[in-house]
Amino acid sequence: MSLPGDFLVLCRDRLGIEEVSDEGPMVPREQLVAFATALKDELDFRFFVTVVSVHYPEVEAVPADEEKGTEAVPGKPDCTQVCYRVRRLPNAERKTVVVPFRVYVPTGETTPSLAGVWVGADWQEREQYDLVGTVFADHPDLRRIMMPEDWVGHPLRRDYAIETAHFPWR
Amino acid sequence: MAVDESQERFEHPLYQFMEKMPGVDIGLTTADRILTWGVSNSLWVFPMATSCCGIEFMAAACGRFDMDRIGTIARGTPRQCDVMVIAGTITVKMAPRVKKLWDQMPEPKWAIAMGSCAISGDFYRNIYSVVPGVDTFMPVDVYVPGCPPNPDHLLMGFRRLQEKIRAKRAGEWVEPDSRPPMGMQSPSVPRYGSDRDPVWDEAQLQSVIGMDKGGAMHREGLTLPEPPAPPEPPAPPEPETDAEQEAE
Repeated sequence: MSLPGDFLVLCRDRLGIEEVSDEGPMVPREQLVAFATALKDELDFRFFVTVVSVHYPEVEAVPADEEKGTEAVPGKPDCTQVCYRVRRLPNAERKTVVVPFRVYVPTGETTPSLAGVWVGADWQEREQYDLVGTVFADHPDLRRIMMPEDWVGHPLRRDYAIETAHFPWR
Repeated sequence: MAVDESQERFEHPLYQFMEKMPGVDIGLTTADRILTWGVSNSLWVFPMATSCCGIEFMAAACGRFDMDRIGTIARGTPRQCDVMVIAGTITVKMAPRVKKLWDQMPEPKWAIAMGSCAISGDFYRNIYSVVPGVDTFMPVDVYVPGCPPNPDHLLMGFRRLQEKIRAKRAGEWVEPDSRPPMGMQSPSVPRYGSDRDPVWDEAQLQSVIGMDKGGAMHREGLTLPEPPAPPEPPAPPEPETDAEQEAE
């Protein structure tokens, strides 16, 4: 996947990121809404494809052991990555293209909602809140959308106990 | 163009007999038998179809199998129906709705669990949101196993239900249908901190890899782990020999 040049220029100007990987730039949460607004208004990315949250459990740091010859493993905090995909629709002068960008959310904190920029993000963010538990601040209607209303927990988190009983149905 | 319709008519042999014999224009029966005849041959169906078993249900209702000819007419409301066919996976969110629809059906009513998902949850039963079998919250009269069952199997389930209704109204003992045993290990998703036997994972992986090598032949050479050997019975106590007594 090759990213379009104007998107790379926008990343360099707005975020100061020189080299953008195929997974997309990691946008700071404070600049997310401004970055998305610029994508939509300046670069004409008008179609919101998807948003996917991924929960990463905590990884404990392991120091290097010279006797066994193992290398040190850096620890990682418990966090969530929110990955977005937006599309620029084709016309007579250009082809369609999809660009990604990501947000890093530590557990227990919120990320701004993009439902004010793309209306299509509304239900998708509700789904991610329902399954992964990512809290989107300033979302107009952050309720569960797929699981039952009285469900406890967010089932796609890594620390969710999959055998959880749900009386009396399960 | 004329069509010969002389062979198209259907007349019941009893009716023909009554027409032929002079004076025999009244058939005698008991009220219970004629009620049983009516009940077992007018099973109106409420299709609780949530997934692919519903497609097979539609095929059973279409022209090739023609479910209507045994009186099973699909209706869109539970208040007109006698049989609920649960065709598909029932999730925790759907289960209260299914129960509510079942409670809205007037007595007498029966239920058919169609497909392995409705019977036991099958390979979705380990998922956090799936009910492991609808008979955990409502009575089920007939199980139609399959994934999904053919329309023939569904029609056989209806015939089985008719037999049960007739036998029960005649006062005979009817053996309740039991949930069919599952002859396979349900493939569970690899879990975080799973203690599943890795040999099973390897066998499952190999069977998937060899699937493009032709039909059922890929199962050859697949070694599944032996079930654990039953514990050996304790050895019987040795009989006391006479030698010890002689030594004394």
